[in-house]
Amino acid sequence: MRTLTEDQVEIGSPLPELSIELTPTAIVSTALATMDFTPVHHDVEGARAQGSKDIFLNILTTMGLVERYVTDWAGPEALIRGINVKLGVPAYAGDTLTFTGTVVGREDDEFTVEVRGRVSLGDHASGTVRFALPE
Amino acid sequence: MSSLSGRTAVAGIGATEFSKKSGRSELRLAAEAVFAALDDAGLSPADVDGMVTYTQDANQEIAVAREVGIGDLSFFSRVHYGGGAACGTVLHAAMAVATGVARTVVCYRAFNERSGRRFGQPDARLGGEPSSQGLEMSWHVPYGLMTPAAWVAMFARRYMHAYGATSEDFGRVAVAMRRHAATNPAAWFHGRPIMLEEHQASRWIVEPLHLLDCCQESDGAVALVVTSAERARDLRRSPAVIRAAAQGSGAGQMMMTSYYRDDMTGLPEMGVVGRRLWEQSGLGPSDVQAAILYDHFTPFVLTQLEELGFCGRGEARDYVADGGIEIDGRLPVNPHGGQLGEAYIHGMNGIAEAVRQIRGTSVNQVRDVRNVLVTAGTGVPTSGLVLSGG
Amino acid sequence: MTLITDPTLHDRLTALAERQAAAGEVRGLAAADPVNVPMIRHWADAMGDANPVYTDAEAAAASVHGGIVAPPAMIQVWTMPGVNRRARQGPTPVDDVLAMLDGNGYTGVVATNCEQTYHRYLRPGDRPVPATRFTGLTGPKRTALGEGYFVTWNVTWYCDDEPVAEMLFRVLKFRPRTDRAGSGAQDGRTDSGTGEASAGPRPPYPLRPAVNEDTAFFWEGAAQGELRIQKCADCGQLRHPPGPMCPSCRSAARTHVVASGLGEVYSYVVHHHPPVPGRQAPFVVAVVELPEGVRIVGNVVDCPPSEVGIGMPLRVTYRQMDDELVLPMWIPREP
Repeated sequence: MRTLTEDQVEIGSPLPELSIELTPTAIVSTALATMDFTPVHHDVEGARAQGSKDIFLNILTTMGLVERYVTDWAGPEALIRGINVKLGVPAYAGDTLTFTGTVVGREDDEFTVEVRGRVSLGDHASGTVRFALPE
Repeated sequence: MSSLSGRTAVAGIGATEFSKKSGRSELRLAAEAVFAALDDAGLSPADVDGMVTYTQDANQEIAVAREVGIGDLSFFSRVHYGGGAACGTVLHAAMAVATGVARTVVCYRAFNERSGRRFGQPDARLGGEPSSQGLEMSWHVPYGLMTPAAWVAMFARRYMHAYGATSEDFGRVAVAMRRHAATNPAAWFHGRPIMLEEHQASRWIVEPLHLLDCCQESDGAVALVVTSAERARDLRRSPAVIRAAAQGSGAGQMMMTSYYRDDMTGLPEMGVVGRRLWEQSGLGPSDVQAAILYDHFTPFVLTQLEELGFCGRGEARDYVADGGIEIDGRLPVNPHGGQLGEAYIHGMNGIAEAVRQIRGTSVNQVRDVRNVLVTAGTGVPTSGLVLSGG
Repeated sequence: MTLITDPTLHDRLTALAERQAAAGEVRGLAAADPVNVPMIRHWADAMGDANPVYTDAEAAAASVHGGIVAPPAMIQVWTMPGVNRRARQGPTPVDDVLAMLDGNGYTGVVATNCEQTYHRYLRPGDRPVPATRFTGLTGPKRTALGEGYFVTWNVTWYCDDEPVAEMLFRVLKFRPRTDRAGSGAQDGRTDSGTGEASAGPRPPYPLRPAVNEDTAFFWEGAAQGELRIQKCADCGQLRHPPGPMCPSCRSAARTHVVASGLGEVYSYVVHHHPPVPGRQAPFVVAVVELPEGVRIVGNVVDCPPSEVGIGMPLRVTYRQMDDELVLPMWIPREP
């Protein structure tokens, strides 16, 4: 695993797509790994009682997956400076979450990538990730 | 001495059997007990001109009168606050007789409290209507604090905290009551004493109260005949003279949730009753040879011993542990087994036992009984009696 | 059952929001555990994140970090309350605003924005402390889910006194439509302890209080996230439970104060039997003594019954029991 260098990052270039299968195990294991024990993330009946069709991804995981999407591409030593996410439709168990992204800007040493995470219902999360690359 | 003291007497007692399912209507139970009490006194229904019961009783005085064949009534009254009414019915009857309002008054309590409506079950309607009682309940019922066991448990916890009392201290009361009931054929728990270990092992109802801290729920009826002491002396049975009778309510009183007064470890309303009884009778704690202490839940037996002056605050657990409330103890309490052992007839069965102790006819007779103290419901506005021979 | 919109609600909300914003930053409790490799490994494993700087000591040592670091997006994880530690959370300035919205029918919640800035990577041993500021209330707005208010707050995490990360979090608190508004709703759980997205009317809670003109102020207060204690307008005596006439001076002129929301257990019971409608046993009911000098009965929640004891410090919280009734309840707090 190598980390990109600054000259390898081109404004306007797309990131490779990343698809994540949202198995019930994925939903539950990430909810627990983020210390989120809200029933809608692990209890199907509980989720349905709340008016949801199934268990769904929690926000802390959305943030983690967005981060992973960018570092999978930029490399292990990319320094994540910030993540801004606008939250949309829920990402239910059984769905597939597909990330796409584009490098949209650079200011000093900081790059900005625009990221979209889509599920079958529409945009689950959209926003930007700011990062720097080691000298 | 009060003008009431010694002027009236309980001349007759009557009861149905005590059971978990009477198989008959509450009105029939009332009629049977009233007729039995009159028969015990050697009086006929035609002699009765007054009737008193609890506001909670489902049998109207006129209905019972019709069934038993009682004719004209010149006095009828009801006493409020659940089991706190028990001795109050006798007080009202005694006042009516002493003032000439009535000559012979019957007090009764009849219910199918086990097979019919059970007081121990939550009733969501308790806080339902904006009466003063409904509003009072509304500070408690929405939180699920809605059974008598729970209301009492709240006092018990604070008492334990204040005085270092334990569940075993409460358990010793239950063990004593069941021991007394074991030799009383009329008791539901006849022949079934318990050990302290069984009390400790019994399931939680509302912590800190175990199942065996709670009296049973019962079907049955008890009635008493009150008339003048002078007339009672000419009747079939030797009279139990009403030496003192009192009701009591304290400052900041609530039905059963008086948690907002300065202290939660006493029973100020019982203190009112106790002071009135001792003053009216001219007697004190050392002058009674037996006591009937209301025992719907064990903790308040300890509190009553303290509130009525039998021991100091916080000392009741030692008093009980030393065997103080046994039949041969310093103060035999509830020789019939109380409501924990005999039956829960809202305290009326205890008054009947006090009369038997005065007469010398109890199955668990205490020796040389001259005066018996009786109390009614605890944690509620209440009442009490001192009955004497004579 | 219909919800009545209180015409003064918006003004009261705005006033509360201003007050909460003015309260500034309120520190919460430090992470239960310092940043540690096992939790990082568990997280990276679940996320499918193979970045070796998080878990591989050798690779991390050779990296720009010089040793293992935590994924920046884990920042919130360190100070999550856990399964049964919710009670240990300190109050935040957001709680009252959300409670007032809950109490007025804005029971639905969806998160709309999460913006995080990381000043530095955390390392094993760091123990972040969150501090929350209330920063905004806008509305009412018509949204696809129903009418609602956007509520925004900011959290800064400190290690010692160094700010290491910041977060802006925004939720929409909405009045659920009677049709199932839940689809499209995303989890709104936040670390300030809000409820879940809820859809549709709830079944009526069976244990309802009777309310009349002497007691209505209390229940209205509860619905707005206020614990109100009656105060005599003449002699100033506080009184609970309330009543129509001051027992000290016989005045019928009444007002109320809003209690601090602190209290401690004066006595308590654990109800086991018989079953109580609308409740799941065992549950705890306590007589709570308030520093204002009155006592009040309520449930102690978010705490195992075996941990409740006389003298336990409590803080008030509010629970929406159905579409109409909000009950004040109590949770443990650090003394």
